[in-house]
Amino acid sequence: MFFHIVLERNMQLHPRHFGRNLREHIISKLMKDVEGTCSGRHGFVVAITSVENIGKGLIRDGTGFVTFPVKYQCVVFRPFKGEILEAVVSMVNKMGFFAEAGPVQIFVSNHLIPDDMEFQSGDMPNYTTSDGSVKIQKDSEVRLKIIGTRVDATEIDKNISQSRPKWDPAGSHPSRFFCIGTIKDDFLGVINDPTTI
Amino acid sequence: MSGEEEENAAELKIGDEFLKAKCLMNCEVAIILHHKYEQLQQTSDDPMNQVSQVFEKSLQYVKRFSRYKNPDAVRQVREYPSSLWKILSRYQLAEFELCVLGNLCPETVEEAIAMVPSIKTRGRAHDDEAIEKMLNDLSLIKKFE
Repeated sequence: MFFHIVLERNMQLHPRHFGRNLREHIISKLMKDVEGTCSGRHGFVVAITSVENIGKGLIRDGTGFVTFPVKYQCVVFRPFKGEILEAVVSMVNKMGFFAEAGPVQIFVSNHLIPDDMEFQSGDMPNYTTSDGSVKIQKDSEVRLKIIGTRVDATEIDKNISQSRPKWDPAGSHPSRFFCIGTIKDDFLGVINDPTTI
Repeated sequence: MSGEEEENAAELKIGDEFLKAKCLMNCEVAIILHHKYEQLQQTSDDPMNQVSQVFEKSLQYVKRFSRYKNPDAVRQVREYPSSLWKILSRYQLAEFELCVLGNLCPETVEEAIAMVPSIKTRGRAHDDEAIEKMLNDLSLIKKFE
């Protein structure tokens, strides 16, 4: 689920930025540092919407750097166990399928796919009912329930970093959510089959 | 944090911080992100290069699932969330519950309870009739899209 929340962060700034544009510098640094990051507590920070307050700076002894406490509003995406949401299937294999709901990846194991759906290999691997009426394949839209969340450490991040914009500093993604989902329950499953459109 | 283990959205256990926070429906997120993207377009030639992967994926997701395929219809869409909130807030639901209903648009009482089990369990005496009425109100707005 997406939320609009207020977060706080201490921004450390080099003295060369002190001047007329101090506020702009703090805000642009905040956006670079925070947007796109993820924490186990607040989930993914999608976008900063406004800066509520920039507190009085505190000079760090011996360095000349100044720390400013900054309060800002942002849109976050935080998945919860038990939450039901819609997602797009990104990969299908015999173990199950992966789906994406915004920034989060959700794996649905074949044990959590209804028993009447069988795996079909081929160019377009899919799960299909015996009468062929329902099919799950790449790009299908499914409604699923999250039954477990996990916050991954940095290792997985290295794979993701290749497609990340250049300015995005390494290590600003200290963690990443990963979810396990099910479609084996009432009112869950495919909501739209890409082949029928 | 002790709340971590007990977390369960079906029982509305999402932690105090998020219970009090403003919850956003997909269509609202679409407006916010689209607005931000437009701002970036004015200052940069290649705005997609300026945003994080998280932003890009979220924008794609909410566009796909807020049921507005036409990005130019923002003005029309803007009316939608506010009227939705007005109607749903009559039923004294938690923001999280409102947003799940707003996002998934269940059609039957049974489906609504399956999507948001907490509307039954939290002892607010939501009988089937009240839920049915709520879904009716919801579908009325959808027609105006």
